[in-house]
Amino acid sequence: MSLVRAAGGGREPILVTGVGFVTPLGGTAAGLDAALATGRCALAARPLEIEGLGASLVPVAACADFDDEAAPRGPSGVLPDRGTAMALHAARQAFADAGLAPGAADPHRVGVYWGCGMGGAASFDQATQALYGEGRRLRPTTVLTTMPNAAVAELSMAFQARGASISYACACASSAVAVGEAMRAIRGGWIDLALVGGHEALLTPGVMAGWQAMRVLAPVSGGGAQGACRPFAADRAGFALGEGAAALVIESAAHARRRRAPARVALAGYGTSCDAQHISQPASEGQVRAMRLALADAGLAAADIGHVNSHGTATAAGDAAEAASLCEVFGAHGVPVSATKSLHGHLMGAGGAVELVCALRALERQCLPPAAGVAEPDPAFGIDLVCGSTARRVPGLRHVLSNSFAFGGTNAVLVASRLD
Amino acid sequence: MSDSITFQTLAQILQNEHRVDPARIRPETALADLGLDSLALMEFVFSAEDALRLRLPEDQLDPRAAGITLGELCEAIERFAAGQRETEEAAPGRAAHA
Repeated sequence: MSLVRAAGGGREPILVTGVGFVTPLGGTAAGLDAALATGRCALAARPLEIEGLGASLVPVAACADFDDEAAPRGPSGVLPDRGTAMALHAARQAFADAGLAPGAADPHRVGVYWGCGMGGAASFDQATQALYGEGRRLRPTTVLTTMPNAAVAELSMAFQARGASISYACACASSAVAVGEAMRAIRGGWIDLALVGGHEALLTPGVMAGWQAMRVLAPVSGGGAQGACRPFAADRAGFALGEGAAALVIESAAHARRRRAPARVALAGYGTSCDAQHISQPASEGQVRAMRLALADAGLAAADIGHVNSHGTATAAGDAAEAASLCEVFGAHGVPVSATKSLHGHLMGAGGAVELVCALRALERQCLPPAAGVAEPDPAFGIDLVCGSTARRVPGLRHVLSNSFAFGGTNAVLVASRLD
Repeated sequence: MSDSITFQTLAQILQNEHRVDPARIRPETALADLGLDSLALMEFVFSAEDALRLRLPEDQLDPRAAGITLGELCEAIERFAAGQRETEEAAPGRAAHA
């Protein structure tokens, strides 16, 4: 078919040599694995009180253990936005995991490709609250900490990435696009190694109210938010706002070989497309195209994929479109599907990277996380959703696929493979 | 001087927010020798003004441009604060708001 020919088929895999993250399910591989294995749900109901709007509850998935004020600052010395602090933390972990001291690679051949959805919107929300509400002036560093590339700037200084420093803002696909574009840059020979990923921390009143106004958040009561996000269920009612960051060090096989860096998994394929139809309604055609492009890029057939971590937002329109797309590409009940937003919330710009990390953990452990709170998927969807409270063992799992579909119509799909 | 509340406030900001070595935080240290770049110096003055609840008029004292010492900055702040208190007593209710 034409898409396969266009993509050439089976490009060089890019090795994943380091991973780090801050998520509502924890910041260590062991913690994340345990949460994914048991379907631990990090969702909670947070009170939102804004004068003139009345009180309400918002479903959130916060990184309760992450103290941004205690976290070390970035190289600029400027007090960072919470999301930027998370990005720095995840990236330091990833570099340590990769066994790569700052400066160990040729700085001109290292790039940062990073995603965020709304940049420093939460910091700006707080700053303007102080400005308008309390008559307090803005800090001299307000612009520098709220611009969408604030984190990328800190990251490139921290790790001496002089080859590229690019921030991608395509809503919920931002960090998946960042990962994919870095793969292309490495394959194209522009750089050897990249720090990729994304961050988002939007849990301030103004930003939460913005999401609430879109009517895409799951309703929650005083009883809490456990199981409030039910992707692909017939009674699905929306998602929870998550926060966090995930970072990966990826590099060409030749570069990893030269520095004797061990790697167990590789990024095999990337596909991106745009619906170009509607600013918020997804279109199955664009999603199908992105998945097929990613498969072609990896040189794989749909039947080779043993697991999909879906975009799975639990919105009425979003899940319907994605279920149709999955059936089109993989056939009805053709591949086991997870929907980890039910556990860690919707991390917006960080979602693609965090969900890729979940898919990599599944690949490593041969174990697929369940969508907690979902007894069964809507039978009309025809998808094999891993649900309930126990993970599904899948011995022999070799290739996984992660979907990210954004407001604005951007679709990004990543395929990862085991190297053994 | 180094015992004054003003100096202690500045010292605390320099240590906590800018990680300046406490050994360098002395009245005779020039602001230029604190190891802060122009941006950090602006942030430092901003935080100091907030902590001390005043605003230094730039036409009277621009610490970014002056090669003044920490001690001189403290004196200028205290002089300015004293002047402000007098104005406040003459016309209550118009305190500078951080």
